Order: sequence, then C-alpha cells, then structure tokens
Amino acid sequence: MAGHQLIDDYLAELARRLPADDVDELADGLEETFRHHQRRGLSAACAAAAATAEFGHPDLIVKEFIRQAPGRRAALALLASGPMFAALWGSSLISAQVWTWSIPLGAAVAFGAGLLAVVATLVAAAVTRSYQRTRLTGPACGLLAVLDGAMLAAIALAASALSWPMALAIPASIIRIGLAVRTVPRVLAR
Amino acid sequence: MRPEAQALKGHLDVLLLATLAEGPQHGYAIKEALREGSGGRFDLPTGTVYPALHRLERAGLIAGAWSVVDGRRRRSYRITDTGERRLAGERANWREFAQAVTGILERNPWPATS
Repeated sequence: MAGHQLIDDYLAELARRLPADDVDELADGLEETFRHHQRRGLSAACAAAAATAEFGHPDLIVKEFIRQAPGRRAALALLASGPMFAALWGSSLISAQVWTWSIPLGAAVAFGAGLLAVVATLVAAAVTRSYQRTRLTGPACGLLAVLDGAMLAAIALAASALSWPMALAIPASIIRIGLAVRTVPRVLAR
Repeated sequence: MRPEAQALKGHLDVLLLATLAEGPQHGYAIKEALREGSGGRFDLPTGTVYPALHRLERAGLIAGAWSVVDGRRRRSYRITDTGERRLAGERANWREFAQAVTGILERNPWPATS
C-alpha cells in the first residue's frame, strides 16, 4: 500500500482473519477511499483515519464475511434439514426392523460416532467467529456423504423389502450426497 | 450505522443489481454509487458491501473478474443475464408495492400533530 501506517495496520488485522483474495479486494477499495479523501484536501493521517472509519471496524467486516460465508450457510442448511433426515431414516430403520439385522457392532459404533462428529462440526462452523472455521463444513460434508452412502448400502444389503419411509429417505439421501459433494470445493475455495 | 443504512439491508441485493445494471464496477465504486444515488441516505460501511457482492456472485446474479490497476489487484463485477431477469422481477414487485402503499397513505390528508 502506498498509504499510511494506519491503513497497513488495518489491512494486517484483516489479513489475519480473512482469505487473501478478500483482503486484496478490500485493500483496493481502501486505497481508493484513502485517495478520495486526499483529493478532498485531507492530510495523509486524516485521510487514513477517514478511510478506515468509512470502511467499518475490522470486527464488523469479519462478522459480515462470516455471516455470508458459504461454509456457514451450508452448515445452517444441513443442520436445518437434519431433523427431517433423522425422521425419514428413523422410521425407515424401524419399518425394516433394524434390530434383526446382523450388523457388526464396530460398524454401528463407527457410524454413530461419525454422525456425531458431523453434527458437532457443522454446529461449530455455524456459530464460529472465525472465518477459517466456517471451512470445517467442507470435511463435514465429505463425511456426511460417506455416511449417507453407508446407510444406502446397508439398506440395499440388509433390508428385505422397500417401505414408504425408505422410498422417501433413499432419494433424499442421494440428493444430499450430490449437494454435499458439490459443496466441498465451494466451501474450501473461499 | 444510520437507520437508513439498517433499513437498506433488506433491499441491498436489488440495489446492488440496479447499480451494476449501469455497467461493470468495483466494490468501492458500487458503494459510492449507492451513496450518491440515495442522496447520502444509504451510506453502508464500505467493508460490508463486499460479502454481499460475493453472495450475489455465488448465486450467479453477478460475475466478478480480477484485473490489475495501479499495481493493485482489483475485482470488478458485472450483472449476468440471470441477474438482469431477477432485477426486472424485483423492479416490477417494487412498483406494485409502492403503488399500493402510496394509494393508502395518500388517500386521506395526513392528521395534524399537536
């Protein structure tokens, strides 16, 4: 920046908390604002103070980036749809008499632990005050797709007949796998 | 933040689209166009306009591209065909809404205040 120490400090604060591309874009806008105030006749120090004030406090900017972060929005959407999936798969497993299936205990425990890990990670990504942590939604989406795939495989191998809840749960999970796989690169890219 | 700027948040997307319908612009120019177009009423903290632009870009309503200006990386945005269609729809909705509200508010003279 050809600006002022105040602006450099301001951008350094943002650079610690936001992706590099976003900081480059903010830096360009801040430089334009700084020059605008200098053209109005302000000194460098006053122009820098006016420009940073006009841009907003770094906490406010970071909060707004987090609010709009693709990772946070995807986490909220997955958490909001979670109860519906739980109801669909819960009724599917009851209708298929899951307690009669011969599933290894280790596999069942691993599935449950994976599901808990996904939920905990999505909650963390949804409520975080760190932009970096919103990216946790990426690996959570990957694991969720694996868990959905495991559930579909279990149904295909162990269920003796198709029930109405399964007829809804299976396409819902296939759609969620597709959306989750598509979400991973979008979340990790920003 | 001014009360007008707070109220603006619910309409920010369509105002950003309308600003970009006039031609491609970068973030600071978009914010200035909003401020000047509203006679200074809509004066958002500049830094908060960028996340809104990114959200519109992810939705396919605008498209961003990097260039280099004065040795700095600059991201400029243009409205897409999808964005143009959304803007046209929002404009029509707004005209209907404004017409309905105006019809009610201006039906009778304003009551006198003490």
